[in-house]
Formats: sequence, structure tokens, C-alpha cells
Amino acid sequence: MKKKKRILVVEDEKNLCLLYREELRKEGYEVVATTDSLRALELIKKRDFDLIITDIRMPVKDGLELIADIMAIKRNIPVIINTAYQSYRHDFMTWAAEAYLIKSASLDELKAKIKELIG
Amino acid sequence: MIERYHPFRHQLHQSGSRELQIFSILAQSFFQPFTLKDNLMVILTALTAGSGLGFNRAMLFLVDGDRLKGEFWLGPASPEEAASLWQILSTHEIGYAEIIDYNRKLLLDENNPLVQKIKRVSFPLHAPQPSLPALAASSREIIHVRDAFNEPLVDPHFLELINVDEFLCIPLLSPDDIFGEIILDNAITRQPIKAQDIELASLCGLTAGNYIYITKLQQRIVEMKKQAALGEMAMFVTHQLRNPLVIIGGFVDQLLSPDLDEKKKMRNLRIIKEEIARLEQIMNRLTRFFRIEIREKVPVNLREIFKITVETVKPLIKSTRINLETEVEPGLSHVFSDPVYLGEALRNLVENSLEALKDWGLVRLRAFRENEEWIVISVEDNGPGIPEFLKDKIFEAFTSTKEKGLGLGLAYVKRFMEASGGFIRVESQEGRGTIIKLYFKAG
Repeated sequence: MKKKKRILVVEDEKNLCLLYREELRKEGYEVVATTDSLRALELIKKRDFDLIITDIRMPVKDGLELIADIMAIKRNIPVIINTAYQSYRHDFMTWAAEAYLIKSASLDELKAKIKELIG
Repeated sequence: MIERYHPFRHQLHQSGSRELQIFSILAQSFFQPFTLKDNLMVILTALTAGSGLGFNRAMLFLVDGDRLKGEFWLGPASPEEAASLWQILSTHEIGYAEIIDYNRKLLLDENNPLVQKIKRVSFPLHAPQPSLPALAASSREIIHVRDAFNEPLVDPHFLELINVDEFLCIPLLSPDDIFGEIILDNAITRQPIKAQDIELASLCGLTAGNYIYITKLQQRIVEMKKQAALGEMAMFVTHQLRNPLVIIGGFVDQLLSPDLDEKKKMRNLRIIKEEIARLEQIMNRLTRFFRIEIREKVPVNLREIFKITVETVKPLIKSTRINLETEVEPGLSHVFSDPVYLGEALRNLVENSLEALKDWGLVRLRAFRENEEWIVISVEDNGPGIPEFLKDKIFEAFTSTKEKGLGLGLAYVKRFMEASGGFIRVESQEGRGTIIKLYFKAG
């Protein structure tokens, strides 16, 4: 059996975290989800991920800082930014992400983007 | 060696010409808390007061849509009135402030015949063949009219109104706009209008144009700021609503799929209910923010409200090493305020401090007399302080650095303080801590 692709979801909204975990598991991925961006960084150091999906506005360490840290540790993991905010689209750290998605009540776009990036 | 002078000269040097004095008054009036119309009245006053620049009467027309509309008409209505008016004005005790005051009353008087007449007239600005007075404004030229009764370019209705054979039309302009027109005459003294008078009057016209231009710019800036704030607010509210909507949408989708088990169905419904409650909370907070209204101020016991505040936030510091201290200056017992809003404001501020401290530090609530006029309640912490780049923004609504915060906390406290006749100040040093001070009127 082909090994499942592993995705890390970083999203400080507890319920949203749960929703993404369940929905992406249904798509056949192994999903690790955390509401804490510092915890996310520890996870990235310890384990291998095929893709990271992160929010931007989060307490303690925001998504853009997280991306900068990821770049320093594991440069080639693709990152999808998934946020409620349009305004970070032109932030200089955003260029490092593979995709910039605006959170939507339909997860179709997110699922399609994941498929495009890691199959 | 240097010499310093105050920019406002109440008395010019004796040898200063009358013209110089007039310009000094015009320049200074701009610094007074006058409205645009007051400033324009100052100009008209300068042009007509006493023998002034030699003009007896001044009319002001302002552009309203595509018409030139009558606004003011200053000056005596008859030779008798002129005599008594000029007598008053020539006494040394009377300064321009008094004259302006006198003129303001005159213009507000509905029985004043000149005001009644001027308010009723208006002339089209862009007629195919414009006549005077509109012609001066539309052609952007100063026009000196002599032998008016035989001049076909003068509008007959206007001539009937002004009833004088010589007058001067000065357009009020900006580089790309027409604001109005001033009409000057010597209806009482019948003195001819001299070249020098025209020169000075045209300079007054330019000054008036500048006043109007700047005032309009200011109005536009205020309007733009309001719109920007509104835009920012709309954007922020949209963002705040997005997360709960995404969650509700996602879990409803799951509910619609046939293979979801009963346990998860219940869980989804519970989550949806939670998120709906959150949406409601966001709406309520926004509504409350826009509706702050202080109906009645009552004496609020300082020790009492400190005690209540400490009680409410106690659960938040239970498992931390944060100390919460209160201190009320001896002899001080209360401030006049709205106890409900004040309680909320204090809780808000203390919660901010606690958040800044995380789990170690000191928060101090103090009440003291700053001076005879103000009593201060301060909330102080030894946390990380407010970053320099945020200092200007912390009181603006919708600028939270917290993902879940609506960014209304400090803006809310500020609105409440201002609504109750006080104000709020912040002192913060990065690495040292923050003090927020609420100022209440003593007594």
C-alpha cells in the first residue's frame, strides 16, 4: 500500500482545526493538527511533513514568522497559507508559500490545491 | 544675538500703513477658532470697516451648484446709519474682535434689510452670455463697473438690488475652482474707486480664495479619514465573521453527508451552536461600542470598584505568579462616573495587563489626585510594554494584535472616558511596562 502523505495544519481556531483534520483525513491524508504555532515548530523539527497549511494571525508566533522558521529548518516543504485576511497577500514573507488561500465555507479550493501540490 | 516676537501682533507700529494693518488682521484671523463664514466676514469687515480701504459696502456671493448665491451684505443701509456706524468704529477702544462680533450679530439679524435682500438673489454661473455679477466669477477676472445704469453687461435685477453706478467685482478662486465673488461699492460716500483700492481688494479676494480652498481641503481630509476608518471597520468585521462562518459551513456540509454517525451529528450541532453564539457576541460587542452613552454620573466608590475588579479577574491569575495590588490615595474616596462602564473599563485594562504579563509580574490599580482639577485611576504593569510602532494605534478601533480580540478594548475605554468628560493617556516603555491613566474631573 502506498504510504499516506502527511499534512500539518496550524490553525488557532480549535473548531476549524478539527474540521480540517477530519475533512483532509477523508481525502486520504494523514493529518496532524495543532492550534499552537510553537508546538507546530517542534513537530516540524521532529517529523517529516509533505505539506504545511497555516493560518497567519495567531497568538505568540504568527504564520509568517512560522514560515520564516520553516525555511530555516526544512526549506523544501510546500506551505499553503490559509487565512481570513487578504491584506497579507503582498507581505514579503508570503512569496515563500506555495499558495495563498482565503478561508471559505467550502473546502473545495483548499482540497484542490493540496491535490495539485502533493497529489 | 537673537530677538523673538510672538507671531500675533496686537498693535502694529504706528507708522504701519492702514493696508498693512488690514493684512495683519486677515492673516491672524486664520488662527482664530473661526468658521469659514466668520473668516470671510473678517475679510468683508476689513474691506468696509470705518473708511477701511475706501469701500462703503461689501457683498459676498458663494458658488452653490451652478449658481452664484447671495450670502452676506455688509455695510450701512443708509447715510444716517453709516454716520453712526462709522462713528462707533472710529473710537479707539473698539478692536476688530468687537467689529467682527458686531457684524456677526448684524448678519444674523433677520430684520436687517441688506441681509434680507442678498439672501434672496442668485445668478446662473454658466449662462450662454453671462452678465454681471456672474461674469467676473466665470471669466476669473476682476471687473470694475462704471456708469452701471448704461452698461448692458450688468444684470438688471442685480442693478436694482445694488442701486449704484460704480462697483467692483472680485472673484474668489483657487487654481482649479471658483468659490464665489465679492462686490464692493461706495454707495454712501460716492467716492470713485481708485486703482490702489482695486489692487488691495484683489489681494483680499486672493486671501479669501485661499481660506475657502484650505477649508474645503480640510473638510475633504476629515471625510477621507472617516471613510478610511469605515473601510477598515468593514474589513475587520468581515474578517471576524469569516472564521465562524467557515466553521459553520464545514460542519453543516458534514451533517449533510449520509454516512455521519449519530455521535458526530450531535457534536457538529453543538459546534455550530457555539459558533452562532460567537457571531452573536461579535455583533453585540460592535453594537455596544457604537452606542456608548453616559446618562448620569454618580459617585463611584474607588475602593469598592477596585475590589469588584480584583474579584472578577481573580480566576485569571489563579495559577500564575501575578500579583494584583490596589491603592487609593488617603482622603480620596470616589470619582464621578458611570459605575457599569467604569467597571468594564477597568476589567478591560487589567485583562490587557494580565495578557501582557502572561504568568509572572505585577499589576497595580491606583487612584490618586493628579492636581486640583483631575483625579486619576491608573492601571500599571511591569510587562513587556507597548512596541513603539503600535503606540499611535492602540486607541484606534479595530487594531487588535490578538487573533480573537475585536480590537475594541482600548478604543472602547477611550470612547467611554471621552463620553464622560475625561480622557485617557498611556505611558509605556518597552521592556519596562505600561501605565494607562484614566482622568476624571475632580468634584
